[in-house]
Amino acid sequence: MKKVRVLVLTGYGLNCDHETANAFSLAGAEPVRVHINSLIAGEERLEDFQILAFGGGFSWGDDHGAGVIQATRMKNNLGGQLLEFVEKGGLVIAICNGFQAVVNLGLLPGFDNDYTSRSVALTYNDSGNFRDDWVYLAPNEKSPCVFTKGLESFDLPVRHGEGKLYAEDAVIKRLQDNNQVALRYALADGSPANGKFPENPNGAVDDIAGICDPTGRIFGLMPHPEATVHYSNHPQWTRIKEEKKRKGEALGDAVSPGLQIFINGVNYVRENQ
Amino acid sequence: MPSCLEISLKPQLIDAHGAGVAQKAKSYFGIALDGVRSVNILTLDADLSDGQLERLRTEIFTNPVIQVSSYAPLEIDFDWVIWVGYRPGVRDNPGATAVEAIEDLFGLKFTKDQAVYTSMRYCCKGKGLTRRDMETIAKEILANDIIQQWKVFSKEEWDPKTGVGVIIPKVKLDHEPSVSTVSISSDEELMRISDERNLALNPNDIPTIRSYFLREDVLEARKEVGLSEPTDVELEYISQARSDHCNHNTFGGKFFYTDLATGEKMVMDNLFKSCISDPTKAIAAQKPWVISVLWDNAGVGKFDDDHYYSITGETHNSPSNMEAYGGAITGIVGVYRDPMGTGKGSKLIAGTYGFCVGPRDYNGDLKPRLTPRRLLDGIIEGVKDGGNKSGIPTAFGQVCFDPGYLGKCLVFVTALGLMPAKVDGGPSEEKTTSPGELVVMCGGRVGKDGIHGVTASSEVFSEHTPAGHVQIGDPYTQKKMHDFLLEARDQGLIAFITDNGGGGLSSSVGESARFSDGCKVDLAKVPLKYDGLDQWEIWVSESQERMTLSIKPEHEEQFFALAKKHAVECTVIGTYTDSGKLHITYKDETCAYVDMDLLTAAFPQWEFEAEWVPPELRGLKEPVLSAPADHNGLLLDMLNRPNICSKEWITRQYDHEVQGTSAIKPLVGKERDTPSDGAVYRPVLTSESGIAISQAVLPTYSAIDAYHMTACVMDEAVRRVLAVGADPEQIGGVDNFCWPTIIFDEKQNPDGKHKAAQLVRSCLALRDLCNAYDLPLLSGKDSMYVDGHLPGRYGERHKVSALETLQFTTTGLVHDVAHCKTMDLKAPGDLVYIAGLTKNELGASEYYEHLGHLGLNVPKVDAKANMALYKALYKAMTEDCVASVRGVYRGGLGVHLALCSMAGCLGLDLDLAKIPAEGAGRDDALLYSESAGRFILTVAPSDKERFEEIFAGLPTACVGQVTEAPVLSIKGLDGAEIIRTEVQDMKDAWKKRFGGLI
Repeated sequence: MKKVRVLVLTGYGLNCDHETANAFSLAGAEPVRVHINSLIAGEERLEDFQILAFGGGFSWGDDHGAGVIQATRMKNNLGGQLLEFVEKGGLVIAICNGFQAVVNLGLLPGFDNDYTSRSVALTYNDSGNFRDDWVYLAPNEKSPCVFTKGLESFDLPVRHGEGKLYAEDAVIKRLQDNNQVALRYALADGSPANGKFPENPNGAVDDIAGICDPTGRIFGLMPHPEATVHYSNHPQWTRIKEEKKRKGEALGDAVSPGLQIFINGVNYVRENQ
Repeated sequence: MPSCLEISLKPQLIDAHGAGVAQKAKSYFGIALDGVRSVNILTLDADLSDGQLERLRTEIFTNPVIQVSSYAPLEIDFDWVIWVGYRPGVRDNPGATAVEAIEDLFGLKFTKDQAVYTSMRYCCKGKGLTRRDMETIAKEILANDIIQQWKVFSKEEWDPKTGVGVIIPKVKLDHEPSVSTVSISSDEELMRISDERNLALNPNDIPTIRSYFLREDVLEARKEVGLSEPTDVELEYISQARSDHCNHNTFGGKFFYTDLATGEKMVMDNLFKSCISDPTKAIAAQKPWVISVLWDNAGVGKFDDDHYYSITGETHNSPSNMEAYGGAITGIVGVYRDPMGTGKGSKLIAGTYGFCVGPRDYNGDLKPRLTPRRLLDGIIEGVKDGGNKSGIPTAFGQVCFDPGYLGKCLVFVTALGLMPAKVDGGPSEEKTTSPGELVVMCGGRVGKDGIHGVTASSEVFSEHTPAGHVQIGDPYTQKKMHDFLLEARDQGLIAFITDNGGGGLSSSVGESARFSDGCKVDLAKVPLKYDGLDQWEIWVSESQERMTLSIKPEHEEQFFALAKKHAVECTVIGTYTDSGKLHITYKDETCAYVDMDLLTAAFPQWEFEAEWVPPELRGLKEPVLSAPADHNGLLLDMLNRPNICSKEWITRQYDHEVQGTSAIKPLVGKERDTPSDGAVYRPVLTSESGIAISQAVLPTYSAIDAYHMTACVMDEAVRRVLAVGADPEQIGGVDNFCWPTIIFDEKQNPDGKHKAAQLVRSCLALRDLCNAYDLPLLSGKDSMYVDGHLPGRYGERHKVSALETLQFTTTGLVHDVAHCKTMDLKAPGDLVYIAGLTKNELGASEYYEHLGHLGLNVPKVDAKANMALYKALYKAMTEDCVASVRGVYRGGLGVHLALCSMAGCLGLDLDLAKIPAEGAGRDDALLYSESAGRFILTVAPSDKERFEEIFAGLPTACVGQVTEAPVLSIKGLDGAEIIRTEVQDMKDAWKKRFGGLI
């Protein structure tokens, strides 16, 4: 089978690199954790990879706005390479702090093939505080997003203090019209959270949890799919196990929706490149 | 020419930070603000062109989607403005990252004189607000005068052109560093100088110090390097190393213990050796999974054939008491350096916290420096930023309110690490320094911050305690260093590593040089935050985020190349030698030259008088109390008590899932809102094994007897990890003692002998329980002097001492996380069992406390009986024939049955008469006694037979069943229903106290 190489960024306070790499391994890819400086120094080259992962963490301590300084540093030193990567059909997944960096880089929302303009912000949660909790998510089945293809509503952990998606009304409308809104915060039954806390954990406009670019190849989301690729990551697994046991079933190791997101990305590369 | 850049959210956006300030002003002080808009100010003290200023404004510091900014004051409507900025020399983390970003954007390098400072401006709106209101908000909510300064502007005082003005909190020392010598003409003279310089030398040590420096061979050797009388660098070195914080003089002391009831006398020589190290050595010898204990920064246990885990716990009480946020963040970030510096270095995989503070709503006459509410807010936030920004899951935590902590709060922090069993083909837990290797300082720079931190925490807090040792931890800098060190370790580049914690270089270099038997260090090579530090200050500064390493010269190039990649500053500051001397120079001049074995020389042992009066003779007795009639009301009130009620608001602020390893989370249950007995992490993503971690603290029991306090705390911590799935054969402990002063003084500490006796008894219990449970102590620390002197109503000062406190942390191996259990009820029809005997042990219980009594019958641990039960439980869990497991802790069965029910959102139908009990012949005793060794277990009907087979012969009985209807129904001993409460009502009662906090 075709090798799919994934570059997982590390360094400067990023911190989800091990589990993000692990998720891609489980999805059948070959992840490499690469320090931002190794990329800048040319020790690793973006063109040797098919997927680029901007992972979670606190790059530069989240000072001056989450993801802001990471975006500046990457734009300054790697801007051309990034645009070339996107142009040549590379995939980008940007999770939490990575999502924050990517909107500041302008890789998202990527209207009109413009991958450098900032028009979406991820700002302080309305609660004013960091929050770790699980949320329900409703994928938009009309979205071109390659990572959420085929997913039905599911749950993932969120862990952030600056996850409120905000943009001017016109930008939001465009995201909606283009079906670039790939994931929304939802109630347990999959219906919209309608801004209700804590189901919508941050006050994001239109309950938006994740967006993609018009091609669907660049995907940013606040929740953490990489943190739920093993059955025991789910907060209810001991309950699910007892429920199944009473039906004479084993817990099993079905693919979690979190892992499916990575598998979708890897499969897309296999099928399209 | 410095410039000030003001940045604010666009006016139409919610300012959550500002709203938080308004909310606090209202709820804390009744000051009604109509609105608060916050403005970030960057003061750029650097030569930048107009073009550069505009670029950094637009390209870095302003998000065009949400922010507006300007180099002139932003026009925002207000009635009052409060400006808050740091004092000079206080760590400004965002200021430092701003410099990094600007340097990167323009490819330039800031000089030592250039910097960026951050500050905040709050634009407050409201009718009838006074300057005094603003001062209150500034002082009590926004700023702490130890680290911050503030200004208040009325509308009239505000100049829209200049705004707050240009305030540059730059450190200017204009001081030529110099080494001074200290006269040792007499003991009195040295003592006087010690007091004067805040050296905190123990009077008993002074003759030993003097006689060393007066020795002929010493004088001779010193003469050759140009020294005669001891230098300040040398005395600081000795003072740091001999401080109670570093040397544990109390635990190493000699206790003359008298039981005043029997007249029996006993001499306990060295509590550390007899009660901690000897038992642990003996147990470790029987347990091959114990890899390395009692010498390194953290203890090491085996995880699997390829991995070890490391664990240690610490406190950061004194600094947190003065600057809650700074103290707590420095504490958590600091304890994370311990596993990093254990063996050849661990990756951090989890942390925990324990906060002991005064009642949150305390409104009495005593005036602590920070109100308990503000203090708690600050320490919660400090641990939040320290843990979250380090990318380390905060696995577990506990909060304990008691008025005794008004004098000084306790902030416990614990760190769990993971390391490969082998590094470069050799054992990872071993390390040494060898002559010729380089002494390398790595991480942050050295400043005046943190000077005399160690000696200050060895003193009782008073108005004279120097504030200079309060620091602000920088998790970002440390995270970079963490990633770098792990890569360096895996490339085999680290010969030795230890952290720079208490005592700074003096401690880390001093201790690491003992392995090679000497070192030569040039203090002039140590990178400084600013010029003008004296040599002794460089030597003892506790500036954070630093490690000391030994690197072989042939690895120097590779090591420094790796450091550059990770953007971590490293400096060679000297070499290890085998000269037998600690040789410190500044450039070419020697400023310290002492024998390496000086500190192991015969310093006198500290001595303590300990007198024990048993609680009966102290006048304690059981209260005369009839049975309550309203059991429903009682249960709901118990659930609402501060030490029982939900603290979800804290847990949710902590990232407990980063690294993707979480298997049992700190909050469990159908609605994910109930605290788990413990947490389980699966630190190796390709393995099914896990580590359980939990902890316990029960200071209230010390009011009766610290022996039983200790035994109960240890039993609880053990049960907590068992409850989630740990193998009872592979549990390790970490003891963290926090004790009030035990040195007797007729006036200052009249009950010192009692407190000393409590310490002896606590240590005896520690030893007894370790032996009974085969429990090795993987690590531990002690923090004495938990007392404060608080001003009262009339200007008088009250000494407030904490209860004798032990926090005990347990780690346990989980062979397969698939067998882990949670405490929530799982299915209607499941059978409910109580395992372990309930006795009449209400002494110092939550129930008695609720009714205003202390009592006498404190719970006692029957370790032998418990162990048989624990092993049975483990068997039942690994065979999956229990559905839920909960230990019974503070608050007793009543509280914990309610918690199981709330967690599962299911009801219980129970009969108290069926509870295995001994002498607890009343409903209230059965419900609220806090007897140790007990569990609440639920079992699917299909597993009943096997479950009962496993527990045959053990005090375990089926007491009822789980019901679909979410109602807790309990029959009393007379057969009538005494409790009937809806689950939702219990949840409401349990959550209402702190439910509004986020």
